[in-house]
Amino acid sequence: MAERASTRQNGASVPQTLRKLLAAREAGVLLALIVMCVFLTLSSDAFLTSRNLLNVGRQVSLLGIMAIGMTFVLITAEVDLSVGSIYAISGLSTGMLIVEGWALIPALLAGLLIGSFIGLINGVLSTYGRLPSFITTLGMLSVARGVALLLTNGQPVTVNVRQGGDPDTIDQFYQLGQGQLFGQIPAQLVFFVIVALLAWALLSLTTYGFRVYAVGGGLKAARVSGIRVFPVKIWAFIIMGFLAAMAGILSMAFLPSGQAGRTGVGLELDVIAATIVGGASLAGGEGTILGTVLGVLIIGVLRNGLVLLGISPFWQETIIGLVIIIAVAIDKWTRTRRAG
Amino acid sequence: MRRNNHLLTVLLILVALLISSSLGVMAQDDDFQFVLADRIQEKVDAGEELVIRVSYHDVSNEFAPFIRAGVERAAEELGIDARMIGPVGADADVQVSEIETLLDSVDGLAVSSVSTDALAPVIDRALELGIPVVTFNTDNPDSDRLAFAGQDLVESGRAAGHLMAEQLGGEGNVIITTLDAAAQWSIDRETGAREALAEYEGINVLTTVNTGTEPQEIYSNIENAMLANPNVDGILSLECCSNPAAGEYVLRNGLVGEVAVVGFDLLPQTLELIQEGAILATIDQAPEVQGFEAVNMLVQFLGGETIADVDTGVGVYTIENLDEVLQD
Repeated sequence: MAERASTRQNGASVPQTLRKLLAAREAGVLLALIVMCVFLTLSSDAFLTSRNLLNVGRQVSLLGIMAIGMTFVLITAEVDLSVGSIYAISGLSTGMLIVEGWALIPALLAGLLIGSFIGLINGVLSTYGRLPSFITTLGMLSVARGVALLLTNGQPVTVNVRQGGDPDTIDQFYQLGQGQLFGQIPAQLVFFVIVALLAWALLSLTTYGFRVYAVGGGLKAARVSGIRVFPVKIWAFIIMGFLAAMAGILSMAFLPSGQAGRTGVGLELDVIAATIVGGASLAGGEGTILGTVLGVLIIGVLRNGLVLLGISPFWQETIIGLVIIIAVAIDKWTRTRRAG
Repeated sequence: MRRNNHLLTVLLILVALLISSSLGVMAQDDDFQFVLADRIQEKVDAGEELVIRVSYHDVSNEFAPFIRAGVERAAEELGIDARMIGPVGADADVQVSEIETLLDSVDGLAVSSVSTDALAPVIDRALELGIPVVTFNTDNPDSDRLAFAGQDLVESGRAAGHLMAEQLGGEGNVIITTLDAAAQWSIDRETGAREALAEYEGINVLTTVNTGTEPQEIYSNIENAMLANPNVDGILSLECCSNPAAGEYVLRNGLVGEVAVVGFDLLPQTLELIQEGAILATIDQAPEVQGFEAVNMLVQFLGGETIADVDTGVGVYTIENLDEVLQD
């Protein structure tokens, strides 16, 4: 981290900068994204329109917000499978509280707290509790979904004036999910960009960010150098829980309804896939926010493009799966070559 | 060596037994005669409380609360122990093993199948053990079930197709949306809908959009499909949940009056979108009645009555008659 920053300050020449850019982990992902966009622009009139691109932006935003949280968890060499359930329980809770007549801020805070708290439990059990995070969060996936079903009694939760709640609060809540900046840019996309910038700063510019990489890169080395590993990991889970809750709440504000049996089911795999395509590794120590954002965009553009091209939904699933495998394979092979 | 020979003999006998028993089952299938188990007959004669389990294919979906309400009403009115069971999330394995576990303790079963193929064998096994089994909501025609309570799915699809054609004045481009294009209920409704729409020369079905079941995914898939097909005049949803999503899309994009939405069921969001004019018509399948009838049929059967299929009908709701449901 520190090294990279110092060379940049020394002022590298243009070709050097270019070469370094191409060698960066994100280059392959960026190249793939550009190739896809060029292909889609040539093969479908509907792709390169501002409306479609903003749609793609909105469609990837919630996945992106969660994938950013997952980047933290994966870099510390852990995994969180409970994000889809956190997304559901937090969004549904905030929705229910607003319908109950709560004011906006307390309802939002309650949802975010629930998510962060589940993250805290995941983190504590996976560190001090000595359980593999795969197991802890797999269990939490069921627990949180079960509780969401109990809370809602399996009924869909719809946020609107007829269900109850204060009309102004509901209107403000809608703005979070459905609002548009400058009458065009979806609010969800704005949140995604803000979260990405903050996360980038946290990971690249702060001591905490340095510790996240240190913990994931080599536990012993990190311990020897005096980093307390467990708190670093627990905070990664809390960030994940918070962001999953945020995505769930934004989803509720957008749709504006959800159902505990369906909302966010299977989302954890999409989130992990996007993060991995962006260059993070399940083995830990690797991954960047820029990479994750590109990974999320690849999945989003791919889905959008396959629909615009009229490809059958069964093929869509197949192709997306293949792209995930190919993306990671290219990354692995080029890395071995670079290392050798 | 000798031990090996013994093993071989045992294996051969086992294989022979398996083949003959499976042949036997096949032979039975042709003219299955239900005989009530002795233990259940004794309970009925002694007037003991009957235990009935209603296995719904996904107890976490939005219909489960209505089905459960119907089952609970039946339990109370008929004075029996009736309860809804089933998997959280449509999962055939879980549904089958839960029913298997109950085979020695229940006096009657009502089943709405995750998948016809997966559930037919366990339904037939229960019947062979002398446990009466009826189906509800989603029928299982491959099994020997005694009767079915629910909507004729192909017929309800036809009704939706005709409703759409009426709304479009017999002319226009239609896309069909469904949560799961490969599921039996969806295939049945789509067959009916396409059949009905094909009767109108001016109507063109462009594509079937498989939206998936996750709410954000449903909305995004409709959004993408509408962008890919800018000439759509009508969206026909085959179920509860892509119906309000399509209505919401139409409302948000100022397409009310331009794109007709017709779909199924009476979710709160659907009712509101009808009031907004974004959904023109929706078809109800009376899930509470299905839950009630599932239990009621079994009680009647155990009481010695003959039972027949119960059609819970096709209830069409538009802005004209919405008051009937809103008053509840």
